[in-house]
Amino acid sequence: MKPVDLARKLRRDAAFEPAALDRGKAVLMAAIRQEVEPPRGPTIVPQIPYLDVSAALSFLERAFGFREIPTARLVTADGGIDHAMLAFGGGVIGIGPQGHHGTISPKSGGIESQYISVYVDDVDAHYQRAVAEGARIANGLGDYVWGDRPYEAHRTYEALDPEGHRWRFHQLLREVPQSERRRRPREH
Amino acid sequence: MNSPSDAEVIGRSLDDPEAFGLIYDRHAATLLRFLGRRVGAEVAEGLVGELFRIAFERRKTFDASRAIALPWLYGIGSNLLLKHRRGEARRLRASARMAVVGEPPDKRAGAGALDARLLFPRVADAIEALPDGEREALLLFAWEDLSYQSVAEALELPIGTVRSRLNRARAHLRELLELGGENRVRSR
Repeated sequence: MKPVDLARKLRRDAAFEPAALDRGKAVLMAAIRQEVEPPRGPTIVPQIPYLDVSAALSFLERAFGFREIPTARLVTADGGIDHAMLAFGGGVIGIGPQGHHGTISPKSGGIESQYISVYVDDVDAHYQRAVAEGARIANGLGDYVWGDRPYEAHRTYEALDPEGHRWRFHQLLREVPQSERRRRPREH
Repeated sequence: MNSPSDAEVIGRSLDDPEAFGLIYDRHAATLLRFLGRRVGAEVAEGLVGELFRIAFERRKTFDASRAIALPWLYGIGSNLLLKHRRGEARRLRASARMAVVGEPPDKRAGAGALDARLLFPRVADAIEALPDGEREALLLFAWEDLSYQSVAEALELPIGTVRSRLNRARAHLRELLELGGENRVRSR
């Protein structure tokens, strides 16, 4: 008998359940859908205009501890920053030159149209760092209790960046127990 | 309307990943049987999902000039089987025992002829001892009934190399049987 025929004699099929095919397909389709879904980032990203984007980027990193996402930077033909993104905790902001998308920096507009709340782990340490790096303090550190359900105790301060955008930094201290919720404190 | 070729479906799946499910529907049963022959139904079920997941991830590399994806899928399956050599050896020995049962005693056997009880375990050992490339080529050819061309596509080898591997595999098996099993095939 020829060697190949001998080898052929050893062929033995393993019976498989029809359901095995369905299970395999489920594995495959789950893997496919995972690839199809884009990685999840924050669903809201504030875009903040500056006259001097490079200076703003440097300040936000030094004073507030934000970190640029290096792969996201767009540059202009002359090497300036057209757009950059910075991450902090689970949040992301974009910064770019004023005038894009109809935006204006408070430094030229003379008014802030918004402020941005940022949650930090240690607001006292954050405050010290921001002051050391030249942030202007618009509202010093203080403890506040507010909110609808649940009431929360926060320790916060507000700082202005070099172009006058207002940032409010919060440290969540605790949820306020029911017994302390009789009086709703004034809002800030 | 003609149904689209595998190459067309894979091409479409680059933009519409879930279209790849059709490749599974067409070939999963064949591949599940292939894997089952080699490592048994239980392991095969785990491997078939893995096989198609890998195929999906590598779909950009599929050679679109091949109308049928089956040899390519066999190739991915062959690579997966290398990790399951131990399970495969067990199954081969079990197949050899089964083959003995199915084979009537050879009444015409001369002095030098081998009884099935001796022959088949020896064939199984010989297949098991073949170098990986030869064993794979032999089993794709003898068990899966792939043509030389399809074996070449599966193993991504020139067809001449497949011919020489199959010839070496045959020679190894023949040598072993003629020597009455005294010498084991040496792995290269």
